[in-house]
Amino acid sequence: MKWCFAGLLLLFVSCSNDEKSIKIKGSDTEVNLAVVVAESFHIHKPEISVSISGGGSGLGIASLLNGTADIANSSRRIKEEEMQLFQKKGIRIDSFVFAQDAIAFVISDELPIDSISIQHLSAILKGSYRNWKALTGIDKPINIYGRQSNSGTYDFVKEILGIEFTPYAKQMNGNAQILEAIKADHSGIGYVGSGYVTKDSGNGLKVLSIYSDNHPHAVSPLNREMIAAGKYYFQRPLFQYYKSSSFLKIKPFLDFEKTKEGQLIIQSSGYYPIL
Amino acid sequence: MIKSNSEKREKIDWLFKQLFKFTGFATIALLGGIFLMLIYNSISFFANVSPIDFFTGSQWDPGSATSKYSIIPLLASTGLVAIGSMLIAVPLGIFTAAFLSELAPKKLQTFLKPVIEMLAAIPSVAIGFLGIVLVGPGIAKIFGIENGLNALNGSVLLAVMALPTIITISEDAINAVPKSHREASFALGANKWETMFQVTLPAALPGLIAAVLLGLGRALGETMTVLMATGNASVLPEGFLDSIRTITATIAIEMGEVPYQTTHYYALFAIAAVLFMITLLINFLGEYFANRLRKFHA
Repeated sequence: MKWCFAGLLLLFVSCSNDEKSIKIKGSDTEVNLAVVVAESFHIHKPEISVSISGGGSGLGIASLLNGTADIANSSRRIKEEEMQLFQKKGIRIDSFVFAQDAIAFVISDELPIDSISIQHLSAILKGSYRNWKALTGIDKPINIYGRQSNSGTYDFVKEILGIEFTPYAKQMNGNAQILEAIKADHSGIGYVGSGYVTKDSGNGLKVLSIYSDNHPHAVSPLNREMIAAGKYYFQRPLFQYYKSSSFLKIKPFLDFEKTKEGQLIIQSSGYYPIL
Repeated sequence: MIKSNSEKREKIDWLFKQLFKFTGFATIALLGGIFLMLIYNSISFFANVSPIDFFTGSQWDPGSATSKYSIIPLLASTGLVAIGSMLIAVPLGIFTAAFLSELAPKKLQTFLKPVIEMLAAIPSVAIGFLGIVLVGPGIAKIFGIENGLNALNGSVLLAVMALPTIITISEDAINAVPKSHREASFALGANKWETMFQVTLPAALPGLIAAVLLGLGRALGETMTVLMATGNASVLPEGFLDSIRTITATIAIEMGEVPYQTTHYYALFAIAAVLFMITLLINFLGEYFANRLRKFHA
């Protein structure tokens, strides 16, 4: 009996807490960043607790739908099918872009190129070019180090270029493993989130600038101004989806992300703030 | 008083008998259930994709616009890395077992055996990590290639993982050879080496085959290590220095994001069913040879 009361009490306490706690779920790309932001948010507003977990953009949006999350982090735009599920339940949602992410293409600094066109990059990733000779004059096979097919980054690169990756592309476990591989492999090319190269520049690596027919000036993913202007080819917004009805509850957190301090945290984590 | 006591005992006897019967059947039911689930989902797959394409094509690329479902590159990868691991682990394992049971002094033996068995306790993630930071770069240096994430790397690591199985079972098999065999051989004037290679090891052969097959089963089913260390490029490998992608790694990579109840989802069950049948066959063979050894000595 005693324990029953204790249990009930716990239930009440957790219910009352619910009003003051924000649950965020979703993208694994965003989870680290969100944790850092939430930690400094907690210093300013200790009365509101924020819990964050990853699991993927799809999981985040599903959690928002079934009510187990207040904010869904998503590194992609919500899909049409998912939107229909929300409409069926009569839930209105809004989105907030809290940061931008850029994908950097990395090669060894022994290869004598600094920039590459979208066309050449597509040809490499599709497997039409299998040797660096045509591009650099160096007769070495091209080794592609990509992400595994369950990664959002993999999907993003594939979709924005409109290609299928060559089956010869190696599929690595994560950004760090790709960088390690390219450090050792002077004929490698790989793609990683730009956050990983700002911390890791030098060390035998080189970040390629990208140009295309529309933007003949090569743009580096490390160039803040150009990314703010939306001029880099491989940049994507990081979304936070939330129910319109719970806007007031989560507003303090979104507001904090917009403050100078919040934007500074985003910047120092290797992402790009929304100006 | 005495009667009630014996009644109680009978009741308890009966209860435990039922309990053990239940656990025994539960294991069989579990195995059957898994098998049926794999088959059931595989049938859904073969309703959409012809088995001829599945077993003859040369590309596994379900994500592309023209989805290609061929198990051949995956099967070749799995086979290559497993055979490679056996080429390394079999001589090493059997000679270690022979050393342990025939030559090693008692003290060394009591020390070595638990150490070897401890090898089995290393998590596969840790071995995969070693493959990335140690074995892979080492292979790249030795062969003068740019990257060591290939079948050879996987084979070396899987060999390490299969060793405890192979050594333990081989040692039991060699120990089970009756002492009279060896004594007869010595009496005929054969030395230690002749006895070992011409009498003891041949007599233990069924057990050694069982050891190899069970080790092979271990290597075929291993996931994490090969996922981390072999590069995961799903093309038909041409040699040990090519990147490969095994059946297990493919399932682990793709199951997380595949939309449910689609052809791709069923395809993963189909390749799992193929792997299951291969390992089941190998385990059956292993058990068969292990039983032959038992009968032979009984």
